[in-house]
Amino acid sequence: MTRFTDKPITGAGIGLRSRHYQEILDTKPSIPWFEVLSENYFGVGGLPIYHLERVRELYPVTLHGVGMSLGSADPLNFDYLARLKKLAEQIEPTYISDHLAWISIDGRHVHDLLPLPYTEETLAHFADCVLQVQDFLGCRLLIENPSSYMGYKEVDMTEWEFIAELVKRADCDLLFDVNNVYVSGQNHGFDPYEYLHSLPEGRVREIHLAGYEEQNNYLFDTHGYRVHPPVWELYRETIKHLGPVPTLIEWDNDIPEFEVLVDEANKAQKVMSDREAAA
Amino acid sequence: MTSLQDMQRMVHDAVFETGPDGPALAAISEHIEPSDGFTAAEHLLIYRRAILGTLVRALGAIHPVCKRLVGEEFFDAMGRVYARQTPSESPDLGDYGENFGDFIAGFEPAAELIYLADVARLEWLWHRAFHAPDEDSIDVAALGAVAEADMGNIVFKLPISANLLVSDYPVHRIWQVNQDDWTGDQAVNLDEGRVRLIVWRRGHEMHIDELDAVAWSLLSRINAGQTLGEIGTAEGLDNLDEILPHCVQNGWIAGFALQA
Repeated sequence: MTRFTDKPITGAGIGLRSRHYQEILDTKPSIPWFEVLSENYFGVGGLPIYHLERVRELYPVTLHGVGMSLGSADPLNFDYLARLKKLAEQIEPTYISDHLAWISIDGRHVHDLLPLPYTEETLAHFADCVLQVQDFLGCRLLIENPSSYMGYKEVDMTEWEFIAELVKRADCDLLFDVNNVYVSGQNHGFDPYEYLHSLPEGRVREIHLAGYEEQNNYLFDTHGYRVHPPVWELYRETIKHLGPVPTLIEWDNDIPEFEVLVDEANKAQKVMSDREAAA
Repeated sequence: MTSLQDMQRMVHDAVFETGPDGPALAAISEHIEPSDGFTAAEHLLIYRRAILGTLVRALGAIHPVCKRLVGEEFFDAMGRVYARQTPSESPDLGDYGENFGDFIAGFEPAAELIYLADVARLEWLWHRAFHAPDEDSIDVAALGAVAEADMGNIVFKLPISANLLVSDYPVHRIWQVNQDDWTGDQAVNLDEGRVRLIVWRRGHEMHIDELDAVAWSLLSRINAGQTLGEIGTAEGLDNLDEILPHCVQNGWIAGFALQA
Protein backbone atom coordinates (compact mmCIF):
# COMPACT_ATOMS: atom_id res chain seq x y z
CA MET A 1 0.00 0.00 0.00
CA THR A 2 1.16 3.50 -0.76
CA ARG A 3 1.77 6.26 1.71
CA PHE A 4 1.38 9.98 1.20
CA THR A 5 5.09 10.38 1.84
CA ASP A 6 7.84 7.80 2.03
CA LYS A 7 10.07 9.80 4.33
CA PRO A 8 10.15 7.90 7.62
CA ILE A 9 9.90 9.63 10.98
CA THR A 10 12.18 8.82 13.90
CA GLY A 11 12.65 10.01 17.45
CA ALA A 12 10.42 12.02 19.75
CA GLY A 13 7.89 14.35 18.13
CA ILE A 14 5.47 16.85 19.60
CA GLY A 15 1.76 17.51 19.11
CA LEU A 16 1.39 20.80 17.21
CA ARG A 17 -0.90 23.27 19.01
CA SER A 18 -1.93 26.73 17.82
CA ARG A 19 -0.34 28.64 20.69
CA HIS A 20 3.08 27.37 19.57
CA TYR A 21 2.82 28.08 15.80
CA GLN A 22 4.71 31.33 15.88
CA GLU A 23 7.50 30.13 18.14
CA ILE A 24 8.05 27.04 16.00
CA LEU A 25 8.14 29.01 12.76
CA ASP A 26 10.41 31.69 14.27
CA THR A 27 12.91 29.45 16.07
CA LYS A 28 12.72 26.26 13.96
CA PRO A 29 13.46 23.98 16.95
CA SER A 30 15.18 20.66 16.27
CA ILE A 31 12.11 18.49 16.71
CA PRO A 32 12.07 15.48 14.35
CA TRP A 33 8.32 15.67 13.51
CA PHE A 34 4.97 17.11 14.56
CA GLU A 35 1.53 15.56 14.84
CA VAL A 36 -1.66 17.53 14.21
CA LEU A 37 -5.30 16.89 15.05
CA SER A 38 -6.82 16.40 11.62
CA GLU A 39 -10.22 17.94 12.34
CA ASN A 40 -8.63 21.24 13.38
CA TYR A 41 -7.64 21.77 9.73
CA PHE A 42 -10.93 20.88 8.06
CA GLY A 43 -11.71 24.59 7.68
CA VAL A 44 -9.92 24.62 4.28
CA GLY A 45 -8.86 28.27 4.61
CA GLY A 46 -7.45 30.89 6.90
CA LEU A 47 -4.71 30.90 9.48
CA PRO A 48 -4.81 27.31 10.78
CA ILE A 49 -4.05 25.66 7.44
CA TYR A 50 -1.62 28.47 6.54
CA HIS A 51 0.40 27.75 9.68
CA LEU A 52 0.25 24.02 9.14
CA GLU A 53 1.60 24.38 5.61
CA ARG A 54 4.49 26.53 6.87
CA VAL A 55 5.28 23.93 9.56
CA ARG A 56 5.04 21.15 6.99
CA GLU A 57 7.66 22.89 4.84
CA LEU A 58 10.08 22.43 7.75
CA TYR A 59 9.03 19.13 9.36
CA PRO A 60 7.39 15.76 8.65
CA VAL A 61 3.82 15.67 9.94
CA THR A 62 1.46 12.90 11.04
CA LEU A 63 -2.35 13.28 11.02
CA HIS A 64 -4.22 12.12 14.10
CA GLY A 65 -8.01 12.17 14.25
CA VAL A 66 -10.90 11.43 16.56
CA GLY A 67 -13.70 11.69 14.00
CA MET A 68 -13.70 8.45 11.99
CA SER A 69 -15.91 6.71 14.54
CA LEU A 70 -14.70 3.39 13.13
CA GLY A 71 -16.51 1.38 15.77
CA SER A 72 -19.90 3.02 15.29
CA ALA A 73 -22.75 0.85 14.03
CA ASP A 74 -23.52 3.76 11.66
CA PRO A 75 -22.23 3.58 8.09
CA LEU A 76 -18.85 5.27 7.58
CA ASN A 77 -19.03 9.02 7.04
CA PHE A 78 -17.52 9.53 3.57
CA ASP A 79 -17.89 13.33 3.76
CA TYR A 80 -15.55 13.24 6.71
CA LEU A 81 -13.20 10.86 4.92
CA ALA A 82 -13.18 13.06 1.81
CA ARG A 83 -12.16 16.08 3.91
CA LEU A 84 -9.46 14.01 5.55
CA LYS A 85 -8.19 12.77 2.21
CA LYS A 86 -8.05 16.31 0.85
CA LEU A 87 -6.04 17.39 3.89
CA ALA A 88 -3.74 14.39 3.47
CA GLU A 89 -3.11 15.25 -0.18
CA GLN A 90 -2.28 18.80 0.86
CA ILE A 91 -0.06 17.96 3.86
CA GLU A 92 1.41 14.59 2.81
CA PRO A 93 1.48 13.05 6.28
CA THR A 94 3.73 10.15 7.21
CA TYR A 95 0.85 8.41 8.97
CA ILE A 96 -2.90 8.80 9.49
CA SER A 97 -4.30 7.50 12.75
CA ASP A 98 -7.58 7.22 14.64
CA HIS A 99 -8.92 5.19 17.56
CA LEU A 100 -10.29 1.83 18.56
CA ALA A 101 -13.53 3.48 19.67
CA TRP A 102 -16.81 5.03 18.56
CA ILE A 103 -17.90 8.65 18.86
CA SER A 104 -21.27 8.70 17.10
CA ILE A 105 -24.50 6.78 16.71
CA ASP A 106 -27.49 7.67 14.51
CA GLY A 107 -25.46 10.61 13.20
CA ARG A 108 -25.09 12.19 16.64
CA HIS A 109 -21.52 12.88 17.75
CA VAL A 110 -20.29 12.94 21.32
CA HIS A 111 -16.69 14.00 20.47
CA ASP A 112 -15.28 11.76 23.17
CA LEU A 113 -13.93 8.28 22.55
CA LEU A 114 -16.37 5.68 23.80
CA PRO A 115 -15.21 2.11 24.41
CA LEU A 116 -16.44 -0.83 22.35
CA PRO A 117 -17.75 -4.17 23.55
CA TYR A 118 -15.01 -6.55 22.39
CA THR A 119 -17.22 -9.13 20.71
CA GLU A 120 -16.99 -11.11 17.47
CA GLU A 121 -19.67 -8.83 16.00
CA THR A 122 -17.67 -5.70 16.85
CA LEU A 123 -14.47 -7.24 15.50
CA ALA A 124 -16.02 -8.14 12.14
CA HIS A 125 -17.59 -4.69 11.85
CA PHE A 126 -14.51 -2.75 12.93
CA ALA A 127 -12.18 -4.69 10.64
CA ASP A 128 -14.53 -4.09 7.71
CA CYS A 129 -14.61 -0.35 8.43
CA VAL A 130 -10.81 -0.15 8.65
CA LEU A 131 -10.51 -1.99 5.32
CA GLN A 132 -12.96 0.42 3.68
CA VAL A 133 -11.16 3.48 5.01
CA GLN A 134 -7.74 2.16 3.98
CA ASP A 135 -9.10 1.46 0.53
CA PHE A 136 -10.58 4.98 0.29
CA LEU A 137 -7.49 6.80 1.60
CA GLY A 138 -5.02 4.56 -0.19
CA CYS A 139 -2.87 3.99 2.88
CA ARG A 140 -2.71 1.87 6.00
CA LEU A 141 -4.26 3.32 9.11
CA LEU A 142 -2.67 3.38 12.54
CA ILE A 143 -5.26 2.32 15.12
CA GLU A 144 -4.77 3.63 18.65
CA ASN A 145 -5.84 1.91 21.86
CA PRO A 146 -8.10 4.26 23.84
CA SER A 147 -8.15 4.95 27.55
CA SER A 148 -11.46 3.81 29.00
CA TYR A 149 -13.56 4.16 32.11
CA MET A 150 -16.12 1.45 31.59
CA GLY A 151 -16.29 -2.11 30.31
CA TYR A 152 -19.18 -4.20 29.05
CA LYS A 153 -20.44 -7.45 30.54
CA GLU A 154 -21.02 -9.17 27.21
CA VAL A 155 -17.57 -9.58 25.65
CA ASP A 156 -15.75 -12.38 23.83
CA MET A 157 -12.16 -11.24 24.30
CA THR A 158 -9.81 -8.76 25.93
CA GLU A 159 -8.82 -5.51 24.24
CA TRP A 160 -5.35 -6.86 23.38
CA GLU A 161 -6.82 -10.03 21.90
CA PHE A 162 -9.17 -7.86 19.87
CA ILE A 163 -6.25 -5.77 18.57
CA ALA A 164 -4.19 -8.82 17.62
CA GLU A 165 -7.11 -10.24 15.64
CA LEU A 166 -7.93 -6.86 14.07
CA VAL A 167 -4.42 -6.55 12.67
CA LYS A 168 -4.75 -9.96 11.05
CA ARG A 169 -8.11 -9.19 9.48
CA ALA A 170 -7.67 -5.56 8.44
CA ASP A 171 -3.90 -5.51 7.79
CA CYS A 172 -3.69 -2.20 9.64
CA ASP A 173 -0.86 -0.80 11.75
CA LEU A 174 -0.97 0.36 15.36
CA LEU A 175 -0.42 3.44 17.42
CA PHE A 176 0.39 2.27 20.92
CA ASP A 177 -0.60 4.82 23.57
CA VAL A 178 1.42 3.89 26.65
CA ASN A 179 -0.47 6.32 28.86
CA ASN A 180 -3.84 4.93 27.74
CA VAL A 181 -2.83 1.35 28.49
CA TYR A 182 -1.66 2.38 31.92
CA VAL A 183 -4.87 4.37 32.60
CA SER A 184 -7.16 1.59 31.37
CA GLY A 185 -5.14 -1.04 33.22
CA GLN A 186 -5.55 0.86 36.48
CA ASN A 187 -9.26 1.51 35.85
CA HIS A 188 -10.12 -2.06 34.82
CA GLY A 189 -7.55 -3.99 36.82
CA PHE A 190 -5.53 -5.57 34.00
CA ASP A 191 -1.77 -5.77 33.65
CA PRO A 192 -0.46 -3.24 31.10
CA TYR A 193 2.73 -5.29 30.72
CA GLU A 194 0.75 -8.31 29.59
CA TYR A 195 -1.02 -6.03 27.09
CA LEU A 196 2.31 -4.71 25.82
CA HIS A 197 3.82 -8.14 25.36
CA SER A 198 0.84 -9.41 23.39
CA LEU A 199 1.00 -6.66 20.74
CA PRO A 200 1.40 -8.11 17.25
CA GLU A 201 4.99 -7.98 16.06
CA GLY A 202 6.14 -5.29 13.67
CA ARG A 203 2.86 -3.36 13.64
CA VAL A 204 3.40 -0.52 16.11
CA ARG A 205 4.52 2.47 14.00
CA GLU A 206 4.04 5.18 16.59
CA ILE A 207 3.77 5.62 20.35
CA HIS A 208 1.87 8.27 22.34
CA LEU A 209 2.80 9.63 25.75
CA ALA A 210 0.70 12.05 27.82
CA GLY A 211 -0.20 12.92 31.39
CA TYR A 212 -3.32 11.59 33.08
CA GLU A 213 -5.19 13.09 36.01
CA GLU A 214 -6.07 11.31 39.25
CA GLN A 215 -9.78 11.59 39.96
CA ASN A 216 -11.69 10.03 42.85
CA ASN A 217 -10.68 6.38 42.57
CA TYR A 218 -9.83 6.35 38.86
CA LEU A 219 -7.39 7.80 36.36
CA PHE A 220 -8.67 10.20 33.71
CA ASP A 221 -6.80 10.82 30.47
CA THR A 222 -6.77 14.63 30.34
CA HIS A 223 -3.56 15.19 28.33
CA GLY A 224 -2.97 18.11 30.68
CA TYR A 225 0.14 17.07 32.62
CA ARG A 226 3.69 15.85 32.28
CA VAL A 227 4.04 12.10 31.76
CA HIS A 228 3.77 10.35 35.13
CA PRO A 229 6.56 8.09 36.52
CA PRO A 230 4.73 4.74 36.16
CA VAL A 231 4.01 5.60 32.52
CA TRP A 232 7.71 6.35 31.92
CA GLU A 233 8.50 2.97 33.44
CA LEU A 234 6.05 1.24 31.12
CA TYR A 235 7.46 3.29 28.22
CA ARG A 236 11.03 2.09 28.95
CA GLU A 237 9.78 -1.49 28.82
CA THR A 238 7.85 -0.68 25.62
CA ILE A 239 10.98 0.64 23.88
CA LYS A 240 13.00 -2.30 25.16
CA HIS A 241 10.39 -4.65 23.71
CA LEU A 242 9.46 -2.86 20.45
CA GLY A 243 12.63 -0.91 19.67
CA PRO A 244 12.85 2.88 19.18
CA VAL A 245 9.39 3.44 17.72
CA PRO A 246 8.71 7.16 16.95
CA THR A 247 7.10 8.64 20.06
CA LEU A 248 4.81 11.64 20.44
CA ILE A 249 4.30 13.94 23.42
CA GLU A 250 0.59 14.88 23.51
CA TRP A 251 -0.79 17.82 25.48
CA ASP A 252 -4.33 19.13 24.93
CA ASN A 253 -5.50 20.89 28.09
CA ASP A 254 -3.75 23.75 29.92
CA ILE A 255 -1.15 23.71 27.16
CA PRO A 256 2.18 24.86 28.63
CA GLU A 257 5.13 26.76 27.16
CA PHE A 258 6.72 25.00 24.21
CA GLU A 259 9.90 24.29 26.20
CA VAL A 260 7.96 22.04 28.60
CA LEU A 261 6.96 19.86 25.64
CA VAL A 262 10.54 19.87 24.36
CA ASP A 263 11.69 18.76 27.81
CA GLU A 264 9.26 15.83 27.78
CA ALA A 265 10.28 14.92 24.23
CA ASN A 266 13.95 14.96 25.28
CA LYS A 267 13.16 12.47 28.05
CA ALA A 268 11.51 10.13 25.54
CA GLN A 269 14.43 10.61 23.16
CA LYS A 270 16.84 9.63 25.92
CA VAL A 271 14.93 6.40 26.58
CA MET A 272 15.21 5.55 22.88
CA SER A 273 18.90 6.51 22.70
CA ASP A 274 19.76 4.47 25.82
CA ARG A 275 18.05 1.48 24.28
CA GLU A 276 20.00 1.94 21.04
CA ALA A 277 23.28 2.20 22.99
CA ALA A 278 22.47 -0.97 24.93
CA ALA A 279 21.48 -2.92 21.84
CA MET B 1 -26.42 -10.91 22.88
CA THR B 2 -27.19 -7.21 22.54
CA SER B 3 -26.27 -5.86 19.13
CA LEU B 4 -23.54 -3.24 18.78
CA GLN B 5 -26.10 -0.74 17.53
CA ASP B 6 -28.48 -1.26 20.44
CA MET B 7 -25.61 -1.00 22.91
CA GLN B 8 -24.43 2.27 21.38
CA ARG B 9 -27.95 3.72 21.38
CA MET B 10 -28.34 2.84 25.04
CA VAL B 11 -25.02 4.48 25.94
CA HIS B 12 -25.93 7.58 23.96
CA ASP B 13 -29.36 7.92 25.56
CA ALA B 14 -27.91 7.55 29.04
CA VAL B 15 -25.23 10.18 28.34
CA PHE B 16 -27.82 12.79 27.36
CA GLU B 17 -30.37 11.91 30.02
CA THR B 18 -30.64 14.24 33.04
CA GLY B 19 -30.30 13.07 36.62
CA PRO B 20 -28.92 9.96 38.34
CA ASP B 21 -31.99 7.69 38.20
CA GLY B 22 -33.49 7.89 34.72
CA PRO B 23 -34.63 4.87 32.67
CA ALA B 24 -31.82 5.13 30.08
CA LEU B 25 -29.11 4.98 32.74
CA ALA B 26 -30.86 2.01 34.36
CA ALA B 27 -31.08 0.22 31.00
CA ILE B 28 -27.39 0.55 30.06
CA SER B 29 -26.30 -0.27 33.61
CA GLU B 30 -27.47 -3.84 33.02
CA HIS B 31 -24.74 -4.16 30.40
CA ILE B 32 -21.82 -2.47 32.13
CA GLU B 33 -19.39 -4.29 34.37
CA PRO B 34 -19.25 -2.78 37.87
CA SER B 35 -15.79 -2.54 39.45
CA ASP B 36 -14.29 -2.36 42.93
CA GLY B 37 -14.78 1.38 43.22
CA PHE B 38 -17.83 1.98 41.03
CA THR B 39 -21.29 0.76 40.20
CA ALA B 40 -22.16 0.23 36.54
CA ALA B 41 -24.07 3.53 36.47
CA GLU B 42 -21.10 5.41 37.94
CA HIS B 43 -18.90 4.17 35.10
CA LEU B 44 -21.37 5.58 32.57
CA LEU B 45 -21.61 8.86 34.49
CA ILE B 46 -17.86 9.40 33.99
CA TYR B 47 -18.63 9.57 30.26
CA ARG B 48 -21.65 11.80 30.76
CA ARG B 49 -19.51 14.35 32.60
CA ALA B 50 -16.68 14.10 30.07
CA ILE B 51 -18.92 14.43 27.00
CA LEU B 52 -20.98 17.36 28.31
CA GLY B 53 -17.70 18.93 29.42
CA THR B 54 -16.26 18.59 25.92
CA LEU B 55 -19.33 20.15 24.28
CA VAL B 56 -19.49 23.00 26.79
CA ARG B 57 -15.77 23.70 26.38
CA ALA B 58 -16.27 23.86 22.61
CA LEU B 59 -19.07 26.40 23.06
CA GLY B 60 -16.86 28.41 25.40
CA ALA B 61 -13.97 28.41 22.93
CA ILE B 62 -16.23 29.79 20.18
CA HIS B 63 -18.08 32.24 22.48
CA PRO B 64 -15.43 33.71 24.82
CA VAL B 65 -17.18 37.09 25.10
CA CYS B 66 -20.49 35.51 26.13
CA LYS B 67 -18.60 33.48 28.70
CA ARG B 68 -16.93 36.59 30.05
CA LEU B 69 -20.24 38.48 30.20
CA VAL B 70 -22.08 35.86 32.25
CA GLY B 71 -19.18 34.26 34.11
CA GLU B 72 -17.87 30.73 33.83
CA GLU B 73 -20.34 29.08 36.17
CA PHE B 74 -23.44 30.51 34.48
CA PHE B 75 -22.02 29.86 31.02
CA ASP B 76 -21.24 26.23 31.81
CA ALA B 77 -24.72 25.63 33.25
CA MET B 78 -26.32 27.28 30.20
CA GLY B 79 -24.04 25.31 27.90
CA ARG B 80 -25.03 22.03 29.53
CA VAL B 81 -28.72 22.76 28.96
CA TYR B 82 -27.96 23.53 25.31
CA ALA B 83 -25.74 20.46 24.90
CA ARG B 84 -28.40 18.13 26.33
CA GLN B 85 -30.99 19.29 23.82
CA THR B 86 -28.71 19.86 20.82
CA PRO B 87 -27.01 16.84 19.27
CA SER B 88 -23.77 17.45 17.38
CA GLU B 89 -24.35 16.37 13.82
CA SER B 90 -20.79 16.73 12.52
CA PRO B 91 -17.61 14.84 13.38
CA ASP B 92 -15.90 18.25 13.43
CA LEU B 93 -16.42 19.90 16.82
CA GLY B 94 -15.87 23.26 15.11
CA ASP B 95 -19.32 22.84 13.56
CA TYR B 96 -20.99 22.71 16.98
CA GLY B 97 -23.03 25.65 18.28
CA GLU B 98 -24.60 27.15 15.17
CA ASN B 99 -27.89 28.00 16.85
CA PHE B 100 -26.50 28.77 20.31
CA GLY B 101 -27.59 32.42 19.84
CA ASP B 102 -31.19 31.36 19.11
CA PHE B 103 -31.09 29.10 22.14
CA ILE B 104 -29.89 31.95 24.38
CA ALA B 105 -32.69 34.19 23.08
CA GLY B 106 -35.17 31.71 24.57
CA PHE B 107 -33.14 30.84 27.69
CA GLU B 108 -35.16 32.31 30.55
CA PRO B 109 -32.37 32.68 33.15
CA ALA B 110 -30.44 34.91 30.69
CA ALA B 111 -33.48 37.02 29.72
CA GLU B 112 -32.17 40.11 31.53
CA LEU B 113 -29.11 40.19 29.29
CA ILE B 114 -31.13 41.25 26.27
CA TYR B 115 -28.04 41.60 24.05
CA LEU B 116 -26.47 38.22 24.91
CA ALA B 117 -28.09 36.25 22.06
CA ASP B 118 -26.78 38.72 19.47
CA VAL B 119 -23.30 38.64 20.99
CA ALA B 120 -23.38 34.84 20.61
CA ARG B 121 -24.52 35.21 16.98
CA LEU B 122 -21.67 37.64 16.32
CA GLU B 123 -19.12 35.28 17.86
CA TRP B 124 -20.44 32.38 15.80
CA LEU B 125 -20.09 34.39 12.57
CA TRP B 126 -16.57 35.40 13.62
CA HIS B 127 -15.72 31.73 14.16
CA ARG B 128 -17.11 30.72 10.76
CA ALA B 129 -15.29 33.54 8.98
CA PHE B 130 -12.04 32.58 10.68
CA HIS B 131 -12.26 29.05 9.25
CA ALA B 132 -13.78 29.97 5.87
CA PRO B 133 -12.04 29.14 2.59
CA ASP B 134 -9.54 31.67 1.22
CA GLU B 135 -10.49 33.63 -1.90
CA ASP B 136 -9.19 36.36 -4.20
CA SER B 137 -10.70 39.83 -4.20
CA ILE B 138 -12.99 41.00 -6.99
CA ASP B 139 -11.58 41.26 -10.52
CA VAL B 140 -12.11 44.99 -11.05
CA ALA B 141 -10.81 44.92 -14.65
CA ALA B 142 -13.30 42.22 -15.63
CA LEU B 143 -16.07 44.21 -13.95
CA GLY B 144 -15.06 47.29 -15.91
CA ALA B 145 -15.20 45.29 -19.14
CA VAL B 146 -18.86 44.26 -18.74
CA ALA B 147 -20.83 45.64 -21.70
CA GLU B 148 -23.34 48.41 -20.96
CA ALA B 149 -26.22 46.19 -22.11
CA ASP B 150 -25.25 43.41 -19.65
CA MET B 151 -24.90 45.64 -16.57
CA GLY B 152 -28.42 44.91 -15.35
CA ASN B 153 -27.64 41.19 -15.31
CA ILE B 154 -24.68 41.44 -12.95
CA VAL B 155 -25.09 39.37 -9.79
CA PHE B 156 -22.55 40.43 -7.18
CA LYS B 157 -21.24 38.13 -4.46
CA LEU B 158 -20.25 38.83 -0.88
CA PRO B 159 -17.00 37.26 0.34
CA ILE B 160 -17.39 33.51 1.03
CA SER B 161 -16.46 34.24 4.64
CA ALA B 162 -19.02 37.06 5.02
CA ASN B 163 -22.25 37.14 6.99
CA LEU B 164 -24.53 40.06 7.79
CA LEU B 165 -25.86 40.66 11.27
CA VAL B 166 -28.28 43.27 12.52
CA SER B 167 -28.83 43.90 16.21
CA ASP B 168 -30.85 46.37 18.27
CA TYR B 169 -27.90 46.53 20.68
CA PRO B 170 -24.32 47.73 20.24
CA VAL B 171 -22.94 44.19 20.07
CA HIS B 172 -19.86 45.25 18.11
CA ARG B 173 -18.90 47.64 20.90
CA ILE B 174 -19.65 44.97 23.53
CA TRP B 175 -17.47 42.54 21.61
CA GLN B 176 -14.61 45.05 21.33
CA VAL B 177 -14.42 46.09 24.96
CA ASN B 178 -14.40 42.43 26.00
CA GLN B 179 -11.35 41.47 23.95
CA ASP B 180 -8.25 40.56 25.98
CA ASP B 181 -6.16 43.26 24.33
CA TRP B 182 -8.75 46.07 24.75
CA THR B 183 -7.27 48.92 26.80
CA GLY B 184 -9.80 51.71 26.10
CA ASP B 185 -12.97 52.84 27.80
CA GLN B 186 -15.10 49.90 29.03
CA ALA B 187 -18.40 51.81 29.00
CA VAL B 188 -21.13 50.66 26.64
CA ASN B 189 -24.34 52.62 26.11
CA LEU B 190 -27.10 50.09 25.41
CA ASP B 191 -29.28 52.86 23.93
CA GLU B 192 -26.88 53.58 21.06
CA GLY B 193 -29.40 52.08 18.69
CA ARG B 194 -29.36 49.47 15.98
CA VAL B 195 -26.08 48.22 14.49
CA ARG B 196 -25.69 46.59 11.10
CA LEU B 197 -22.56 44.48 10.71
CA ILE B 198 -20.68 42.47 8.14
CA VAL B 199 -18.38 39.83 9.64
CA TRP B 200 -15.75 38.57 7.22
CA ARG B 201 -12.10 37.84 6.56
CA ARG B 202 -9.68 39.26 3.99
CA GLY B 203 -6.50 37.18 3.80
CA HIS B 204 -5.63 36.58 7.43
CA GLU B 205 -7.31 39.76 8.63
CA MET B 206 -10.60 39.38 10.49
CA HIS B 207 -13.15 42.18 10.05
CA ILE B 208 -16.29 43.22 11.88
CA ASP B 209 -17.36 46.31 9.91
CA GLU B 210 -20.30 48.56 10.75
CA LEU B 211 -22.56 49.38 7.81
CA ASP B 212 -24.84 52.36 7.30
CA ALA B 213 -28.46 51.75 6.33
CA VAL B 214 -27.80 52.17 2.61
CA ALA B 215 -24.79 49.84 2.41
CA TRP B 216 -26.72 47.36 4.52
CA SER B 217 -29.65 47.49 2.11
CA LEU B 218 -27.38 46.95 -0.89
CA LEU B 219 -25.41 44.07 0.66
CA SER B 220 -28.60 42.40 1.91
CA ARG B 221 -30.02 42.48 -1.62
CA ILE B 222 -26.79 41.08 -3.04
CA ASN B 223 -26.87 38.40 -0.37
CA ALA B 224 -30.42 37.52 -1.46
CA GLY B 225 -29.17 37.01 -5.03
CA GLN B 226 -30.74 40.09 -6.67
CA THR B 227 -29.32 41.32 -9.98
CA LEU B 228 -27.92 44.82 -10.35
CA GLY B 229 -30.99 45.62 -12.48
CA GLU B 230 -33.32 44.66 -9.65
CA ILE B 231 -31.23 46.49 -7.07
CA GLY B 232 -31.21 49.65 -9.24
CA THR B 233 -34.98 49.98 -8.99
CA ALA B 234 -35.08 49.40 -5.22
CA GLU B 235 -36.28 52.16 -2.97
CA GLY B 236 -33.59 54.10 -1.09
CA LEU B 237 -30.81 52.87 -3.35
CA ASP B 238 -30.87 55.73 -5.88
CA ASN B 239 -27.24 56.70 -5.24
CA LEU B 240 -25.79 53.34 -6.35
CA ASP B 241 -23.00 55.22 -8.18
CA GLU B 242 -21.54 56.11 -4.82
CA ILE B 243 -22.51 53.22 -2.61
CA LEU B 244 -21.46 50.40 -4.95
CA PRO B 245 -17.82 51.54 -5.35
CA HIS B 246 -17.73 52.21 -1.60
CA CYS B 247 -18.70 48.58 -0.91
CA VAL B 248 -16.26 47.22 -3.50
CA GLN B 249 -13.38 49.30 -2.09
CA ASN B 250 -14.07 48.02 1.42
CA GLY B 251 -13.88 44.44 0.20
CA TRP B 252 -17.52 43.68 1.06
CA ILE B 253 -18.16 42.60 -2.52
CA ALA B 254 -15.78 39.85 -3.58
CA GLY B 255 -16.96 38.76 -7.02
CA PHE B 256 -19.67 38.82 -9.64
CA ALA B 257 -21.30 36.71 -12.33
CA LEU B 258 -23.58 37.52 -15.24
CA GLN B 259 -27.05 36.08 -15.00
CA ALA B 260 -27.90 34.35 -18.27
